[in-house]
Amino acid sequence: MNLVRARDVMGLPVVSISSGEDVAEVRDVVYDGEAHRLVGFTLNKRGMFAGRLKAVLAAESVAAIGPDAVMIDAEWAIDDSGDRAAGLDDLGAARPVIGNRVLSADGSDLGEVVAVILSTGDEPCAVGYELQSGDRSDTSFVPISAQMALSGENLVLPAEATAFVRNDLAGFGAAIASYRSPGLEKNQ
Amino acid sequence: MTTDTFARVQGRGVVATDSAESVGSVKGFVLDARGRKIEAIHVDGHGKKATILAWSAVKAFGADAVMATTGADPSTIDNDHQKAAVKGVVTMLGTRVLTVDGREVGTVTDVEFDTDSGVVVRVVTDQGPIEPDRLRSLGSFALVVDDTSATTGP
Repeated sequence: MNLVRARDVMGLPVVSISSGEDVAEVRDVVYDGEAHRLVGFTLNKRGMFAGRLKAVLAAESVAAIGPDAVMIDAEWAIDDSGDRAAGLDDLGAARPVIGNRVLSADGSDLGEVVAVILSTGDEPCAVGYELQSGDRSDTSFVPISAQMALSGENLVLPAEATAFVRNDLAGFGAAIASYRSPGLEKNQ
Repeated sequence: MTTDTFARVQGRGVVATDSAESVGSVKGFVLDARGRKIEAIHVDGHGKKATILAWSAVKAFGADAVMATTGADPSTIDNDHQKAAVKGVVTMLGTRVLTVDGREVGTVTDVEFDTDSGVVVRVVTDQGPIEPDRLRSLGSFALVVDDTSATTGP
């Protein structure tokens, strides 16, 4: 599974597969911390000093996130109706996830959330968090699970997720793939 | 099938068969939206004053000259698609190649086409050739191609 830090998607061009045109660029990532869900992207016009676009891009409308571009099927994938997709409205009230402390189920402090990790490909979604230890000496990646409790200060990692914590993004991609399909894990 | 390439035909004279007069020379191409077929040849002028010759008027794409049919008159551009092509906004040569999964895979260095039909038979990039069945769209930002593992090698 190919993974990318959410902030690395910012600034990427949004390109239409049907026209080869760069229709926008990613301004910001809209993330629902409470549901651990990638909602979509706000957009800027292309070009230097170009302003914000009213249109937004819902995660469901993304054809693929690559290292060099976010691909959409066609221009219509960008919602320009003013009728924003659910969740793309102001998320100011949502609980922030960056800065949360992550605790393991048995009470060890794993570090602070510094980034949201997205899976790329044709169904992009949030799959994990990057953590930095208190003394900033250690980076780790933990998988997102529905059982993850979030208080606005702390995230508690369920016991069964502990085995999938990794220290590098590439290794984490493989760990996530088996975490999400437990049957495969036994065969490996 | 006889083929030629965009790089090789650049500047080749275009001559009308009946009058034997020069119509212009090959300056560039207007391709269809997917980048798979030549629609017209840009033969003279720049920008709004550019003239193009429809591919249907090409009688023979020869090694030394392009022969146009009797009475073939280059026409001025009449739509945004043609305008983008003659202005060099949408052009094959030098365009970045982007896969449908958002990866850049080089820059177009040349295009090989069938001199009878105007159909693109191969796109050459600095990272190897691309078969035309992978072409999805040609725009001002990129030539978008399907991602296939069946690479043909550099």
